[in-house]
Amino acid sequence: MKRIKIDFVKLLRGYKAGWVGISSDFKKVLVWGKTLDEATQKAKRFEKKIYFFPSGESYSNFIGIIYYGDKIKL
Amino acid sequence: MGIKLNYSLLPGLEKTGVLAPMIPVTFKNGKHEFSTIALVDSGAEGGVISTVIADKLGIKWEKIPAKTGFSVGNNFLFHPIDINAIIFNHEFSLKINVVEGIFAFKCILGRKDLFKRAKICFEGYKNQFEVAFREFN
Repeated sequence: MKRIKIDFVKLLRGYKAGWVGISSDFKKVLVWGKTLDEATQKAKRFEKKIYFFPSGESYSNFIGIIYYGDKIKL
Repeated sequence: MGIKLNYSLLPGLEKTGVLAPMIPVTFKNGKHEFSTIALVDSGAEGGVISTVIADKLGIKWEKIPAKTGFSVGNNFLFHPIDINAIIFNHEFSLKINVVEGIFAFKCILGRKDLFKRAKICFEGYKNQFEVAFREFN
């Protein structure tokens, strides 16, 4: 069975802002842009599919973490 | 046969131990195409994308009448639109909601879209989930 692992911590390390374009095997960042438009423009030279994801964001907002002291609830 | 995906750790959450079920998706709106990685949210009634992603898909969301939705945090304005999505070579149409004022990266797939098309098995004890698309004749 096929398995997919996306290591965002490793992929986004060093990118403090903007958008990255991630390879279709999810192993490396192929392009970076200050804006999404810039990143997609740079990605045009690649024939393979590229997945775009913003870097340097506060991702806790994504998955709705609630802090209760030192405990966490989703 | 399904595909297994490991839950993903997002930057800034290393100390929390919180992991997220994330899935690669390509959206298609006419000639426009955009690939990103979405959160699979069994608590979300419908799919969500930000206005930034909608703009990239050439969606004129400002011209779609806004509706009011609600979440745990607050109310929000959204503009529903029908587009196509491709996940692991399975293409299907879905109604996605373009939500105003949310983070640019927000892309969520929920019960009315992904969960209608695929059997999804969360295995929290293994930090993984499995997606097996239904076969339609």
